[in-house]
Amino acid sequence: MASIADFAGVPKPVYHQDRPSLYGVKDWLTTVDHKKIGILYGAAGLFYMLVGGLEALLMRLQLAKPDQHLFVGDTFNGLVTMHATTMVFLAVMPMIAGFSNYFVPLMIGARDVAFPRLNAFSWWTFFFGSLVLNSSLLFVQEFPSAGWFAYAPLTTKDFHPDMAMDFWWAGLTMLAISSMVAGVNFVVTILNMRAPGMTLMRVPVLTWMMLVIQVLLAFSFPPITVGIIFLALDRTFGTVFYKTAMGGDPQLWQHLFWLFGHPEVYVLILPSMGMVSEILPVFARRPLFGQHAVIFSGVFIGFVGFGVWGHHMFTTGMGPIADAAFASTTALIAIPTGVKIFNWLGTLWNAKLTFPTAMLFAVSFIPMFTIGGLSGLMHASPPLDLQQHNSYFVVAHFHYVLVGGALQGLFAGFYFYLPKITGRMLDETLGKIHFWLFLIGFNLTFFPMHMLGNNGMPRRIYTYPADAGWNTENLIATIGVFFMTAGTLVFAYNVIVNWRKGKLAGNDPWDANTLEWLTTSPPPLHNFDFTPTTLSERPLWDHKYTPGLEIPVPTTAEEIHMPSPSWKPMWVSSFILLIIIGLLLYNLVPFAWTLSVVGALGIIGSVYAWVTEPV
Amino acid sequence: MNIDFQAFRRIPLAKRAIARAFNGSILPAAAQLLPLVLLAIAFALTGCDEAHPRSTMVPVADSGSISQWFYNLLFWLDAIILVIVVSVWALALVKFRAKAGDTTEPPQSFGDMRLEVAWTVLPTLIVLGVTVPTLGGVFELARKPDINQNIIEIDVTGKQWWWEFDYIKAGLTGDNGAVINTANEVHVEVGTQVVMHMTSSDVIHSWWIPRVGGKRDATPGRTQPFYFKPNQVGVFEGQCAELCGSSHALMGTRLFVHPKDKAVQINEGGKPITLEPYKDWVSHVRTAAAKPQASVEAGAKVFEKKCTACHVIQFADPELKGFAMAQRSPSSGPNLTHVGSRTHIAARTLENTPENIVKWVKDPQSVKPGAKMIVPGGITDEEAKAVAAFLTSLK
Repeated sequence: MASIADFAGVPKPVYHQDRPSLYGVKDWLTTVDHKKIGILYGAAGLFYMLVGGLEALLMRLQLAKPDQHLFVGDTFNGLVTMHATTMVFLAVMPMIAGFSNYFVPLMIGARDVAFPRLNAFSWWTFFFGSLVLNSSLLFVQEFPSAGWFAYAPLTTKDFHPDMAMDFWWAGLTMLAISSMVAGVNFVVTILNMRAPGMTLMRVPVLTWMMLVIQVLLAFSFPPITVGIIFLALDRTFGTVFYKTAMGGDPQLWQHLFWLFGHPEVYVLILPSMGMVSEILPVFARRPLFGQHAVIFSGVFIGFVGFGVWGHHMFTTGMGPIADAAFASTTALIAIPTGVKIFNWLGTLWNAKLTFPTAMLFAVSFIPMFTIGGLSGLMHASPPLDLQQHNSYFVVAHFHYVLVGGALQGLFAGFYFYLPKITGRMLDETLGKIHFWLFLIGFNLTFFPMHMLGNNGMPRRIYTYPADAGWNTENLIATIGVFFMTAGTLVFAYNVIVNWRKGKLAGNDPWDANTLEWLTTSPPPLHNFDFTPTTLSERPLWDHKYTPGLEIPVPTTAEEIHMPSPSWKPMWVSSFILLIIIGLLLYNLVPFAWTLSVVGALGIIGSVYAWVTEPV
Repeated sequence: MNIDFQAFRRIPLAKRAIARAFNGSILPAAAQLLPLVLLAIAFALTGCDEAHPRSTMVPVADSGSISQWFYNLLFWLDAIILVIVVSVWALALVKFRAKAGDTTEPPQSFGDMRLEVAWTVLPTLIVLGVTVPTLGGVFELARKPDINQNIIEIDVTGKQWWWEFDYIKAGLTGDNGAVINTANEVHVEVGTQVVMHMTSSDVIHSWWIPRVGGKRDATPGRTQPFYFKPNQVGVFEGQCAELCGSSHALMGTRLFVHPKDKAVQINEGGKPITLEPYKDWVSHVRTAAAKPQASVEAGAKVFEKKCTACHVIQFADPELKGFAMAQRSPSSGPNLTHVGSRTHIAARTLENTPENIVKWVKDPQSVKPGAKMIVPGGITDEEAKAVAAFLTSLK
């Protein structure tokens, strides 16, 4: 029987770089290696997850009892806004970007992404954008407080004259640029850089889901970017896109925002569905049941996801025709979602299941996500949604999808994939403590919110009267947050301690199916010593267990050209930051616009240097 | 076909499975059934009683009943689906656990086309079954009421952070021709069709009385209707449901559903209150305020000096017309003609007592963060008390 030891004897490839990689901090600043960029994204995501979690904890402290005064008014609204903005844009999306960066090229047997420097540019633009977003606390001592959905005209200068809101549009603009560029980069990578033999239907489900979300990013960020530019123009130059009295229309923002916002929800959940689809088969020791159905249902969700945004707007009075259309498209999403759930159950059935922490998170994803999905079906019915919209019922719904679903899927991914990244196993006992604390805390926190919503508690209120009948559930929810916090801290400890000191993982610790486990942990700069030819959906499994489907092992060394490190991506990002700073200061400092002009010239210059630089 | 449907028929298996799950297992059976337990709790805890005065589950108007009908449909549908999914899931986790020392591989099945078709068609049928009545409900809620019946038509304007209710379309004008409008507390008649026209004068708000039915956004520059017919006498609580700035949490509203012809006593938060017939309330609010009594004249003077830039009090006495200066400018505050008969002030934030009025006029922003009310030149304790006495007298 073949084994992965067969690959040990492959002659080392000869590779050349025009400029050698740098060392230390300079290496991280100039790297174009998808694995290093993936680690940067992942680390930033984990850090911001702690920040966003802290914001949630503070909110729950305020709401633990009625009529409290810990965080009132716009302070609380700022926490609401930044918790959501941070969790969506700075925690879950970068964690997904991290996995996408690190594993997509490995899973398709590529040496890097299609445009390595563009990838570095995405990272730096994201990173500077995340700093801008949070720096309002540093410079104006407050957070933007109009909600992550930032409904105009509350965001306009008439109602938010303070600068915090400017930091919000400035940061989001940079994040949008970063995501659109990354989207294009990864679509090209997945479509063009697959190893020989890897037809589209042999592409692993996780990579497929990444392909879907990158398409979603590339097409859903433009509308919100337009909306944000309108907002920036309104706030900075006094245009009237959202000013009713002068003929503007606040509803315009809502359409532009949700035309982005709903595909964005699928951007957050589809990768976790991909994780589960990769992890269940490994610990079930059988292929994913109905792999093609799972892939097509993911594509279908992404496609229909562009036609459902109106279900966020049933209360705005779009009229019965529009309501009916959006209700129908929204209900359609239930079909592919159901198909996925049934196929996961089909994978578990007749399997030989083992339960390391990665698997625990992956299997608990199924019922938790199902609860969130089913309450989502309720919102597809406008007569019912009119009651549940903007109530705590919705808060419960999307936290079951995004925490019970997306975040649990990502945790499963961390336990499963981190050994490939660090070469070290995470501690299983700590992992199980993390899992149980998190699962219990998560249900304690979010399940009572269904009842709060049904009992008439609106979202985003900083206090509530004692006689409204919401006291018990709110207290339970706050207690639950402490369990989740404890679980997350255990996880953070587990990662930090075992990054360098954990048990050695070896190439293939889980006896897994896909190409990333063929190479060493961590993989070398060039990923694979040879380009693996793919003969099936489970190339590595079939190499190990299916005679006749072994991956051909070459006898001659490959010659490889690897991209050189480059400062240019960070330069371009820095000049974008300079343009943004010029706009932020436009109304405060005379001639601040010169900064923006310098930034624009700087971009032209550094892009010229970029394209003429030998790679 | 690799799915072992035999397993479902072997009932003792489930018992053994649960026993096994408890014995040194990774997933105790209790935790596997967590979602079901939660579902049961949910059902037990949601409902209407004294403890949940704002429950959507016990509607008091036709629009809420339509929402509730869909809730029941979807709740039970969801419950059945969840129980099936979780049961299969839990059974699989217990039954198909790898046994120690077993090195054989499970069957390597890539799927089954018949099953794929089945579990694509089944959700499609469920979705159709939900969507068809849903579309009926959408059009039902949007249907314009018959204009030949008696209608109470109210213009609703959301403002940072209170509600203005204007009865001019209901044909209500005061004895002296003045507009009848109230703040935060809206009064309607049981069994009579209500038509509200929602708009806003600043940012987006959303009017929501959970027991009456679904919320409707009040958007600046737009007006959207909301139709409902209340079927129960009482006072129903609600509040703004769209984040609208710093005091979004303190933008309460109360709906008073008056009886048709006989006054009704209701128990409201342990306090008995009398709801007069709607027509009595109408004649009450049509009556302009009488000339201030001597005992509150000091307060009236302070009010005239410090408050009339924004607040209106409609007096019957033409000499006092100066009080009605701020007729409906965008910055105007609530109409205070009958403020003494309101149960609360500051959009349900404080009970309407002289002490609370003092607290409010002395420092509105400490009660409601960011409140727009300013008292030019401040106000002394004495003046505040006088104003409170004056306002309380305006029944």
